[in-house]
Amino acid sequence: MGQYLIRRLLQAIPLLILTSILMFLLIHAIPGGPDAVYDNPNMDQAGRQALRASFGLNDPLPVQYFKWVGNALHGNFGTSLYTSQPVSEVLTQRFPATLELFLSAFVLSLIMTVILGTVSAAYQGKALDYTLTSLAYFGISMPIFLLGLLMQDVFASSLNWLPPSGTATLGYTFSPFNAFLDHLMHLVMPMIVLAVTFTARWSRYLRTSMIDVTRQDYMRTGRAKGVTPSRLLLQHALRNAVIPLITIVAIDFGSVAGGAAITEGVFAWPGMGQLFIDSLNRRDYPVLLTSLLLSAVFVILFNLLADVLYGVMDPRIRYS
Amino acid sequence: MDASKQVHVPEEEFEIPQELTAELSQKRRSQGRIIFDRFVRNKVATVGAIFLTILVLCCLLVPFIPGHTTPDTVGQTTPFAGMSWQYPFGGDNLGRDTFARAMIGGRISLLVALTSMLISILLGTVVGALAGYYGGWVDNILMRITDTILTVPLYLLLFVLSATFTDGTPTSVIFLIAIFGWTTSARLVRGEFLALKQREFVQAASTIGARGMRLMFYHILPNAAGPIIVNATLLVGSNIILESVLSFFGFGVSIPVASWGSMINQGRDYFDSSPRLILIPGILIFLTVLSCNLVGDGLRDALDPHMTER
Repeated sequence: MGQYLIRRLLQAIPLLILTSILMFLLIHAIPGGPDAVYDNPNMDQAGRQALRASFGLNDPLPVQYFKWVGNALHGNFGTSLYTSQPVSEVLTQRFPATLELFLSAFVLSLIMTVILGTVSAAYQGKALDYTLTSLAYFGISMPIFLLGLLMQDVFASSLNWLPPSGTATLGYTFSPFNAFLDHLMHLVMPMIVLAVTFTARWSRYLRTSMIDVTRQDYMRTGRAKGVTPSRLLLQHALRNAVIPLITIVAIDFGSVAGGAAITEGVFAWPGMGQLFIDSLNRRDYPVLLTSLLLSAVFVILFNLLADVLYGVMDPRIRYS
Repeated sequence: MDASKQVHVPEEEFEIPQELTAELSQKRRSQGRIIFDRFVRNKVATVGAIFLTILVLCCLLVPFIPGHTTPDTVGQTTPFAGMSWQYPFGGDNLGRDTFARAMIGGRISLLVALTSMLISILLGTVVGALAGYYGGWVDNILMRITDTILTVPLYLLLFVLSATFTDGTPTSVIFLIAIFGWTTSARLVRGEFLALKQREFVQAASTIGARGMRLMFYHILPNAAGPIIVNATLLVGSNIILESVLSFFGFGVSIPVASWGSMINQGRDYFDSSPRLILIPGILIFLTVLSCNLVGDGLRDALDPHMTER
C-alpha cells in the first residue's frame, strides 16, 4: 500500500510538469499580456520596453517558465495584475466560498443519492423506479444555467422565498446569528442547483451497482437465513454497492479548485469559478495560470485519493 | 486432404429440414434489423429519436417555411411581441422572429455539436486505436497526452481558449470543442482495442497475414463500433450543452449569429420581463440533450444484448 502510494505520487510528477508546461504555453499564447493590461496612450516605446522588461517578458520562453516554476515552488505565484495582491492571497480569499458551496452540495447530493439510488434499486422496474429514473434524466439533461435562472425566477422573483444571488443581504446589519441565517438562505439555491447534477449522475451509478450486488450469492444466503429485506438492502447490499460510488464522488470533488463556474456565475457566488471568469475578462494572467495549475493539482490528487479509497473500502483490491 | 470433399460436407450439414423452413425464414433477420427491432422496443428512446428527427427536419427546412424566412431581420414584428399564430414564439428584443431564430439557431447548435462530435470521435478513435493496438511507448505517449488534457477542468480550458482564440464563428467553436472532446473516446476505444486484440478472430486474421492498419480498422474496429456509436450519441448532447455554456458566458458563437447559446446569452438581460426569450432556446436545448441521452442509452441496450437482461 505504502509502496503503491509512493509510486502513484511519483507518476503524478511528470503529469504535473506536462500540465504546467501546457498551461504556461497556453497563457503565453494569448495575445496581449501584462503590457496590454497596463498599456496607456501616454506611454512611449521606451516605457513600454521597460514595462516588458520589468515583467521578464523579454526572456526566452523556457527561461520564463523556469523562473515561474522556481517561484511557484517557493510559494510565490506572482501578483494579480488587477488587484496587485499576491495571487495566493487572491485565491485563498475565494477558496472558502467555493469549498462551502461544494461541501454543502456534496453532503446534500450524497444523502439524496443514497435514498434515491436505494429506493430505485429496491423497486426496480416498478413505477417508482421509472419516476426516479425520469428525474435523473431530467437532472442530467438540464443545462445548469437554465435550471439556475428558472429557480431564481420562481423562488426569488415570484415567490420571494429566497434571495436571488450573492452571499449576504446588502445594506442591513444583522446580529451574528441572523447574519448566519441570512447567509444560509443565500446558499440554498446554488447548493441545490449544484447538487441536482451530482445527484442525478450518482444515483444512476448507485442504482446500477445496487442491482449488481443484489444478484450476488451472499444476498440469497442472507434471504435464506431470514434477514429482513430492509436490513438486507440497507446493511448488506448498500455497503458493497457504495464502493464504486466513492471513487466517483472523490473524482468529482477534485474539481473543487476550479470551482463551479456556471453555478457561481448565475448566483454571483464569489468562488473560484467566478474568479476565473472575472480574471479571464480582466486578462489577469497570473491568477488564471495559478488557478489552472491548482485545479490540475486537485484533480490529480483526488484521482489518487479515489484509487486509494477504493482499496480501503474493498480489501479484495490488490495494488500492483 | 482432398479440397473438393471439404466443400461438399458443410452444404449437406446445413440443409434445412423442410418442415422448419417457413418458421425459420420468418425469423431470420439481418443484424441491423435485429438491432433496430430491439431499439424500437424501447419506447422512450424511440420517442427521443423521433423528436430529434423532427427537430433536424424543422431546422433544415425553416428557410422554406413561408413567413419565417428572415431570422435576422430586425423589426420583423414588434419588439417583445407575444406569441401569435403568425409568430408562434413571438419576437425578441429587436423584433426579430423568435421562431425562425430558434430554428436557425438550432441549425447552428446542431451543426456545432454534430461536427465537433465527428471530429472528436475520429481523433479519439485513431488515438485510442493506435494506443490500444501498439501498446508500449506509443500507448505511453498518447495516454500521457490524454491524461494531461484531462487534468484541467474542461470548462476552464475552453473558457481560456475561446476567450482568446475564437472569433465567435461557429467553425472556431467546433474546433475548440472537438480538440478537447476526443479524450474520453480515446480512452474508450483504447480499452476496447486492448480487450479485442487478444480475441481469437484477431489472431486468426493476423495468421492469414492481416497486419497493422488492416487489422486495426478492418477487423478490430467494427467490433468496437457499438460503444463508439453510443459514446458519439451522448457526446452530441454534451456538446450542445458546452456550446450553450460557452455562449452563455459570451465566449462562444457571437451574437449576430443565432445559436441556442447566443440566444440565451442575449435574452438574459430581458429575463424578468420576457422569460420566453430564454425559455424557448433553453427548452429546446433540454429536449435535444434529453433525446440524445435517451437515444444513446437505447442504442447501448440495442447494441449490447447482455445489458438488456439487467
